[in-house]
Amino acid sequence: MEDVINHLEPLLRKIQGYIYPNEIELHWGILIVIYPYVTGLVAGAFILASLVKVFDVKELQPTYRMSLLTALAFLLVAPLPLLAHLGHPEKSFEIFLTPNKQSAMAMFGFVYAWYLMAVLLLEIWFDYRRDVIVWAQNERGPRRWFHRLFSLFSSDLSDRALKFDRKSVQTVTIIGIPSAFLLHGYVGFIFGSVKANPWWSSVLMPIVFLFSAIVSGIALVMLIYMLVTPMRRKEMDMRCLDKLASFLFYAMIVDFSLEILDFIHRIYESEESIGILAELASGKLFVSLVVIQLLIGMILPLGAIAVVKLFGVPAELRRLLYFVSALLVQVGIFSTRYNVVVGGQLFSKSLRGLTSYKMTIVGVEGLLMSIALLLLPFVILYILFNLLPPWTGTGRGLMTPPEGSQK
Amino acid sequence: MNLPDQLSRLKSLWTRTPEQTKRLSLLLVIFVALFLPLRSLLIPADFGEIGHYRASALEENAEQHIHYAGQTICFDCHDDIVHTRNQGYHRGLSCEMCHGPAAAHAEDPGMSQLRVPRDRGYCPLCHEYLASRPTGFPQIVSASHNPLKPCITCHNPHDPVPPETPRDCEACHAAIARTKAISHHVYIPCARCHETPEEHRVNPRMFRPSKPMNRDFCGECHYTDAAGSEVTQRVERDTHGARYVCWQCHYPHLPEAK
Ligand code: HEC
Ligand code: HEC
Ligand code: HEC
Ligand code: HEC
Ligand code: HEC
Ligand code: HEC
Ligand code: HEC
Ligand code: HEC
Repeated sequence: MEDVINHLEPLLRKIQGYIYPNEIELHWGILIVIYPYVTGLVAGAFILASLVKVFDVKELQPTYRMSLLTALAFLLVAPLPLLAHLGHPEKSFEIFLTPNKQSAMAMFGFVYAWYLMAVLLLEIWFDYRRDVIVWAQNERGPRRWFHRLFSLFSSDLSDRALKFDRKSVQTVTIIGIPSAFLLHGYVGFIFGSVKANPWWSSVLMPIVFLFSAIVSGIALVMLIYMLVTPMRRKEMDMRCLDKLASFLFYAMIVDFSLEILDFIHRIYESEESIGILAELASGKLFVSLVVIQLLIGMILPLGAIAVVKLFGVPAELRRLLYFVSALLVQVGIFSTRYNVVVGGQLFSKSLRGLTSYKMTIVGVEGLLMSIALLLLPFVILYILFNLLPPWTGTGRGLMTPPEGSQK
Repeated sequence: MNLPDQLSRLKSLWTRTPEQTKRLSLLLVIFVALFLPLRSLLIPADFGEIGHYRASALEENAEQHIHYAGQTICFDCHDDIVHTRNQGYHRGLSCEMCHGPAAAHAEDPGMSQLRVPRDRGYCPLCHEYLASRPTGFPQIVSASHNPLKPCITCHNPHDPVPPETPRDCEACHAAIARTKAISHHVYIPCARCHETPEEHRVNPRMFRPSKPMNRDFCGECHYTDAAGSEVTQRVERDTHGARYVCWQCHYPHLPEAK
C-alpha cells in the first residue's frame, strides 16, 4: 500500500480537474507507442517494395531488396514491445493454440504470423533463391551452410525454375499488398474501435494509420539507402532518390489531408468530448501534436520537398534536404503514435479532467528499454545485410572488406 | 485405369512440380506435423467444454475463500441494528462497508472480531468536504467540525441524524462560507443578503432562500448617497457598471476578486 501511494503521489499533483481514480496512471506507456510505430514502418517499407514489383517503378529497383529486408528486420522486433508489456509474456503463444475469434487483439497474432510467414519470408525466399544458390557455391564454412539452409538445399537454376521464382514473387506481392494494409490497418482498427474513447473512436483511424505508415516506411528506406550507400563507398542513384522523395511527398499529402479531414470532422461534429479534447490538444499535447507532429514532422518536410520539386536544386543540397526531411518525418510519425496512444489516455472519461504521463527511465517499460527496442531492428538489419546483401552483383556484406584481402 | 498407369501419372506430376514448391511444401508438412500434436499436447483437456476457457477454472475460482457474508444474514442476530439502520440516512450503506468482511463472523461470532471504526478519521472518508461530491450530500470540514471528539459521540453510526437541525449555513455551504470568511464581506451575515426560511435547514431544496434581485440592493451600502459606515467604498449609482447587476462583475461572497 505504501508503495502504491508513493508511486501515485507525484502523479496526483499533476492532475487537472476531475478524473476517476483508475485513470491516474496510464496503462499503455511508451512501449505501446513503439509498437504501432514499428509495424507502421514494416507496412510502409513493404508497400514501397511492392511499387517496384507490381507497378514496375524501375527507378526504385535499388531499394527493392533493401525495403524487404527492412520490413523483415522491423517485423521481427514488432512483437517485442508487446511482449515486454505483458505480465506473462511466456503465455503469449497460447493465442495461437486456442484462437479466440471474439478478440481483435488475439486474432492479430494470426495477421502477424500470416504476414511474416506467408508474405514477407516467402517473397524474400523466392527473390533471393537464385543468388543464394550461386553464393553458396563459392563459399566455405558457416556462411555456406547458412546459405544452403536458407535456400532449403535447393539447387535448381534452370530457366524454368527462375521463371517460376519471378512469377511467385509477383503473386506473393499481389497478396502482400492487402496483407500489409491489413497488418497496419488492423492496428488502427484496434484503436479506432474503442467506442468509449472519443480520441480514438473513429472510422478514419485505420486509414490514417495506413497512410502515416506508408509515409514513415518510405522515409525510413530513404534514410537507410542514404546511409548505407556511402558506407559501401558507392554513388547514390539520384533518380532513385528523387523518385522516393516524390512518393514520400504524395503519401504525405494524402496523409495530411486525411488528418485534416479527421480534425475538421471532429470540430464540426462537436460531440460532448470536444471541450476536453480541445483542452488536451492545446495543453498537454501542444508540443507533441502541433509543434512536433504537424509543424516539424509534416509541414517542414513537405515544404522542403516542395522547394526541391519547384526549383532546380543542386544534387548535393537535394540530398541534404531529403535526408533532413526523412529524419523529420520519422520524428513526426513517432510523435503521431505517441499522441494517439498516450493522448488517448490523458483525459478522463468524465470529460472533466486530465492526467499526466510520466515515463520511467529504467525498468521493462522504461526509456532505456524503448531505446534498445528501437535500435534492435538496425542491428538485425546489419546482420541481414551481411548475410543476404541486397545489392546485386556481389555476394558480400556491408562491411566485409573487398575480395582478396579476405583470407 | 490400372495401377501402374496411375503411378506413372503421379510420377510425372511430381517431376513437373517446380522444385521450389516441393521444398516449401515439405517445410509446411513438417510444420503442420509438429504443430498439431504439440497443440493437442499443450491445450488443457477441459478447455472449451463450456466456453473459451478451462472448465476447471470455474471450480478453482469457486474454491477461493469467501470473505464477505452479505447483509441479509446479519438480520438473524442483529435485527435491532438492521432495523435502525434501515430507518436512517445510512440505509444505503451495507454493514460490511464499515465493519469489513464478516463471513467468518457470521459463521462463528465468538471466534472472529470485526472491525469497529470508532475513530474520528473514518467517517470523513465519505463526508469530508470535496468539490466533486454532489451538491446536497452531507459534508463537513472535519478540521472545524467539532474537532477532537470522535464522530460517534454525537452521531449514531447506524442512524446518523444530526443531533439538531443545523443552525449554521456553513454546515452545508462550506465553500461559500469559507470564501466569505476571508472576504471584505466577512462581517455581513448571510441572512442580510439571503432571507432564509427556517424550513430551508431541514428541507433545503423545497424551501429556498431569497437572493438579491437588483443593483439597488448592494447600493443600500455602496451608493454614494447611502447611509452607513465611512469605510464602505462608494460608487456612482448611474455610471458605475450601469445596466448590469453588480454580481455580473463582483462575486458577492468575495467582492474584492477582480
Ligand atoms: C449467528 C449470529 C450472528 C450473525 C449472523 C452476525 N453476528 Fe455480529 N455478533 C454476534 C454476537 C453474538 C456478537 C457479540 C460477540 C462478542 O461480543 O464477542 C456480535 C458482535 C458483532 C459486532 C461487534 C463487535 C465488537 O467488537 O463490538 C459487530 C460489528 C457485528 N457483530 C457485526 C455483524 C455483521 C455486520 C453481521 C452480518 C454480516 C453479523 N454481525 C452477523 C452474532 C452474530
Ligand atoms: C457508517 C458505518 C457503519 C455501518 C454502515 C454499520 N455500522 Fe455497525 N457500527 C459502526 C460503528 C462506528 C460502531 C461503534 C459504535 C459505538 O461504539 O458506539 C458500530 C457498532 C456496531 C455493533 C456493536 C454493538 C453496538 O451497538 O455498539 C454492531 C453489532 C454493529 N455495529 C452491527 C452492524 C450491522 C448489523 C450493520 C448493518 C445493518 C452495521 N453495523 C452497519 C459503524 C457502522
Ligand atoms: C461509505 C460512505 C459513508 C461512510 C463511511 C459514512 N457515511 Fe454518513 N452518510 C453516507 C450517505 C450516503 C449518507 C446519506 C446522504 C443522503 O441522504 O443524501 C450519509 C448521511 C450521514 C448523516 C446525515 C446527514 C443529514 O443529511 O442529516 C450523518 C450525520 C452521517 N452520515 C454521519 C456519519 C458518521 C458519523 C459516519 C462515521 C461513523 C459516517 N457518516 C460514515 C455515507 C457514509
Ligand atoms: C460535538 C458533537 C459532534 C461531533 C463530535 C461531530 N458532529 Fe457532526 N454534527 C453535529 C451537529 C450538532 C450537527 C448539526 C449541524 C451543525 O450545526 O453543525 C452535525 C452535522 C453533521 C453532518 C451533517 C451536515 C449536513 O450537511 O447535513 C455530518 C455529515 C456530520 N455532522 C458528520 C460528522 C463527522 C464525520 C464527524 C466526525 C469527524 C462529526 N460529524 C463529529 C455534531 C457533532
Ligand atoms: C441542511 C443543509 C443546509 C443548510 C443548513 C443551509 N442550506 Fe442553503 N441550501 C442547501 C441546499 C441542499 C441547497 C440547494 C442547492 C442546489 O440546489 O444547488 C441550498 C441552496 C441555498 C441557496 C440558493 C438558492 C437558489 O435558489 O439557488 C441559498 C442562497 C442558500 N441555500 C442560503 C443558505 C443560508 C443563508 C443558510 C443559513 C441560514 C443556508 N442556506 C443553510 C442546504 C442547506
Ligand atoms: C453581500 C450579500 C451576500 C452575502 C453576505 C451572502 N450572499 Fe450568497 N449570494 C449573494 C448574491 C448576490 C447571490 C446571487 C449570485 C448570482 O445569482 O450569481 C448569492 C448566491 C448565493 C448562493 C447560490 C449561488 C451559488 O453561488 O451557489 C448560495 C448557495 C449562497 N449565496 C449562499 C450564501 C451563504 C451560505 C452565505 C453566508 C455564508 C451568503 N450566501 C452570503 C449575496 C450574498
Ligand atoms: C450591509 C452593507 C453592504 C451590502 C448590502 C453590500 N456590501 Fe459590499 N461592502 C460592504 C463593506 C462593509 C465592505 C468592506 C469595506 C472594507 O472594509 O474595505 C464592502 C466591500 C465591497 C467591495 C470592495 C471590495 C474591495 O475591493 O475592497 C465590493 C466590490 C463590494 N463590496 C460589492 C458589493 C456587492 C456586489 C454587493 C451586492 C451583492 C454588496 N457589496 C453589498 C458592505 C456592504
Ligand atoms: C461592468 C462591471 C461592473 C458592474 C456591473 C459593477 N462594478 Fe463595481 N467595479 C467594477 C470594476 C472593474 C471595479 C474596479 C475599479 C477600480 O479598481 O478602479 C469596481 C469597483 C467597485 C468598488 C470598489 C471601489 C473602490 O473604491 O475600491 C465597489 C464598492 C463596487 N465596485 C461596487 C459595485 C456595486 C455596488 C455595483 C452594483 C450597483 C457594481 N459595483 C457594479 C466593475 C463593475
